[in-house]
Amino acid sequence: MHKLGRDVFLILVPVVAAFALLPSVYSNQLLLFNFIIFIVLAQGVNVIYGFTGYLPFGYVGFFGAGAYGFSLMVLHLQAPPFLAIVVGASAALVLALMLTPLFRLSGAYFSIANLAAALAVLQIVANPNLEDYTRGPYGISLSGVFNPRLAYAAALAVLAATLFIVIFLRHSKFGLALQAIREDTISAGMAGINVVRERVIAWLLSALIAGLAGSVFAWYASVFYPETVFSGEFTIFAIVFALFGGTATVVGPILGVVILYGIYNAVGISTPQYFQLIYGALIVGLVLFLPNGLVSLVRRWGIDVP
Amino acid sequence: MFGKVRLGLSIALLLSIFGAAYAAEAPKEIKLGTLYASSGRFASISMPVHYGLKLWIEQKNAEGGVFIKAFNKKIPITLVAYDDQSNTATAATLFNQLITQDKVDLLVSDSGSVLTSVGVPIARDNKMFLFDQTGTGSAFFTPDNPYIALMSDPVSSVWPKPLADFITHDGKSLGIKRVAMLYSTNDFTGTQATAVRKFIKEAGTDVEFVYDQGIPTDTTNYAVLINNIRAANPDAVIHLGYAPNDIAFIHSLEDGGVNFKFLFCIYPGLETELLEKNLGVKPLNYIFTYVTSSEIEYEPNFGMKLKEYKELWNKKYAGGNVEFGFNSVAGYNTGLVIEKALSVAESLEQLEIRKAVFSLSGKLKTLDGTFELDANGAQLGMSTPIGQISVDDHGHIKFVTVWPHDVANGKPVYPRP
Amino acid sequence: MLTYTLLAGLLFGLYFTLIGLGLNLVFGVMRIVNLAHGDFLMLGAFLAFWLFSLFAINPIPTIPVAFIVFLLVGFPLYYLIVPRLLRAKDPEMLSFILFFGLSQVIQALATILWGTSERSIPGGQLGRAVAAILSFVTGRTVENGPVDIFGQSFPAAWVASGIASGIGVLLVYWYLYRTKLGYLTRAVMVSRDEAIASGIDVDRISAIAFGFGLGLAAVAGVFAPFLLGSITPAMGAEVTITSFAVIVIGSLGNPLGTLLGGLVYGISYMFMQSYYSSWANLLPYLLLIAVLLLRPSGLLGRQTRRA
Repeated sequence: MHKLGRDVFLILVPVVAAFALLPSVYSNQLLLFNFIIFIVLAQGVNVIYGFTGYLPFGYVGFFGAGAYGFSLMVLHLQAPPFLAIVVGASAALVLALMLTPLFRLSGAYFSIANLAAALAVLQIVANPNLEDYTRGPYGISLSGVFNPRLAYAAALAVLAATLFIVIFLRHSKFGLALQAIREDTISAGMAGINVVRERVIAWLLSALIAGLAGSVFAWYASVFYPETVFSGEFTIFAIVFALFGGTATVVGPILGVVILYGIYNAVGISTPQYFQLIYGALIVGLVLFLPNGLVSLVRRWGIDVP
Repeated sequence: MFGKVRLGLSIALLLSIFGAAYAAEAPKEIKLGTLYASSGRFASISMPVHYGLKLWIEQKNAEGGVFIKAFNKKIPITLVAYDDQSNTATAATLFNQLITQDKVDLLVSDSGSVLTSVGVPIARDNKMFLFDQTGTGSAFFTPDNPYIALMSDPVSSVWPKPLADFITHDGKSLGIKRVAMLYSTNDFTGTQATAVRKFIKEAGTDVEFVYDQGIPTDTTNYAVLINNIRAANPDAVIHLGYAPNDIAFIHSLEDGGVNFKFLFCIYPGLETELLEKNLGVKPLNYIFTYVTSSEIEYEPNFGMKLKEYKELWNKKYAGGNVEFGFNSVAGYNTGLVIEKALSVAESLEQLEIRKAVFSLSGKLKTLDGTFELDANGAQLGMSTPIGQISVDDHGHIKFVTVWPHDVANGKPVYPRP
Repeated sequence: MLTYTLLAGLLFGLYFTLIGLGLNLVFGVMRIVNLAHGDFLMLGAFLAFWLFSLFAINPIPTIPVAFIVFLLVGFPLYYLIVPRLLRAKDPEMLSFILFFGLSQVIQALATILWGTSERSIPGGQLGRAVAAILSFVTGRTVENGPVDIFGQSFPAAWVASGIASGIGVLLVYWYLYRTKLGYLTRAVMVSRDEAIASGIDVDRISAIAFGFGLGLAAVAGVFAPFLLGSITPAMGAEVTITSFAVIVIGSLGNPLGTLLGGLVYGISYMFMQSYYSSWANLLPYLLLIAVLLLRPSGLLGRQTRRA
């Protein structure tokens, strides 16, 4: 258990503090905000993929659910932002609960079905027939709660909570049980682990993380179209960043985001045409040569990575 | 009392000296920040706008800069432009970059409502006036946001009025009673559809909608839809979609051998070259569309005329991948508005710039049309007449303007042969 | 209106069968999720476009060209990528990501080379071939133009793609069930490990199947400019998802399943467009999920899947 405290001190505190202090030296706060969102999302993917082995190819569905949950509370009920965030996160949880039957499927089928589910949610939300409820394809425009500074603070809180969850998983019996399920479902069951229940809990945690991220994003951006918050790009980036850094660890996804998303912004600003090409090639190379992520390089030298 | 007056005068003198000293500190350059999309789904409407803007900047810099009334001299413009690749999240970060890192003096949006939408709250939060080039989403222009104005397109809720007017006025004598409308559900075309419906209903004539459906924007298959429209036996068909929708729709008509008596589409007017490349001229013949400023020789009271501008454009960009059309005019028009505003603005403060821009409303006429803003910055002018495509014997596309009557130069051909 | 919708659904569904055939083969044999399937289709479409615009070559002869070119591309590509992939800890998941990366690379190259604007081929091109075939078959001279079926007229291109799709299904079926190579392929589809144990050169079989898969995608791509309105480098993504729905609804491994899946998809899509047009794009996703949950082995399901 003391490892948990160590990691909180060595990882969670510095990271959150860094993002809290950076805006005072680097004024593009939006960029920092995006970094936070991606770290949170990558960790969310980490929770479900790294720990249970299910790849949520429709992960952005929870993000969008959170964003819309938040927005609808503000639009229709003029709710205060913090209440709206809670509702947004709950929307993501509800969606996750609805999708639990997907666990009957394995591997690729689960991922495809998850993707289809996220796309289905987008189609439903963006449908003009639901314009009175969700503003359909015309997008959300929130006025009255616009407060980037406070939203940034909320993002910091979500970051702290997410890192804590992952640290907890990394060092707890629960996390160990999840990894056992990932390696061999049948043996894990025989060892007395309640496979279904543990998996669902991990799934809900992962969805909660994305839902919180989505709510905070909606608060910060305040103007967006449905395609923006249901964009497959969020899923892809989150998965790639997590894989690149290394899943089932705490630092892996953080490393992945900082390095890859950092490159994305640097390159994206100077040579954008080749950007998609570089990124795609990077992904291919990653899978072929470093499938367990960066931290696996470190692990090979025998160092245990938190 | 004299003491007080002398004190007042001294203070005034001191202030004016300081003021003059401050005013004498003109910046070496005016930084203009903007975004463009070199790839992705908005590239085809973004690059021409960007090139148009660049052309204006180069022109001004060749003359020594743009005239700034606040400092009473010409100051060269430095362009700071980033590529958002049609990605809204990237665009948001880049807008922020322009404002907070590059500290631009003038902020100009990318083309189209989607890419502009992310800039609206950012500009507002940073109290930076946003020159909205072609983003027509009516939600942008609200009373609580003074930091935006639309430059070159009429706002979506007003844009299709000429079409509705044509149908309810001239349509009567042509025998148009039954109207079918098919539109893609997104902010741009969906809002226009709502506007068409509203204007036609308000006109109170016996024109009725026998078909009125919204479809997803990424629809590419129109066979069944066309068949259903045909079954409703319309006198006029209105299709409101983006360029890929128009291309697929018209293709489908051709391939299926279907001919509607009256067909209106947006993009044969807005992106004529692109549609011609994809469809050839024959399927476009007799289609009604918006006649944009790239086809009409307006009489500007400021800036170049269309003919000169087109020559300049072709000299610089001919043979390239970027097509000349309405969007290239829009970019240049943004430059003209900026130029005129800077020539009357008392300072470079953002709200002062806003005041200058709004003062041009109703008075400025460029090659794009008449500049007229409502109180919230939505463009009410720059309206596009309705015209019909006519293919001459050499296979070239011409536009016959049919509405409004004061700019019409021909009669509509109805029904479509 | 009902007849038209039904027939349109059949014809359009046949096209999606053609798209799904290649994906079915690849997934069935290697359990690899080819997320770049739509992008290979896009490449086939551009091949047809450039051959037509530069050399005025009619799309019909382009079909075998596209097939052979991509067969030859797929074979070495397999060896380059897959054996490494299969040695990793979680090949199915990693293949997702790898082929996604490949998809991005292909899209990026296409965009850099050809720009983002839409391209098209005039429908009359296919119409000529169809008219010729129909004239031959019916003995009367048929004009180049829309084709009459049960009194409803359809674009000639739809009929052409329907015919091509039918031929495709028959060819794949014949390959799998009547040739020795196909017999071995089916063995690999059922159980890769046992096939290795039986001494089958699994890699070679898989590489051939992979090549076939890409070739079929390219052939479907040749018809894309006619069936999908216009083509752009970014068109692949949407096509991939829908083709997944099609093969899942059918069942894996069996080309007849893909045929059924395509028809089900096509007909339901057309009906949605007629009656609930704004919800039409929701359909493939709902169908996919419904089938996966209710009847996981697909409509023609034979047990080759652990759930």
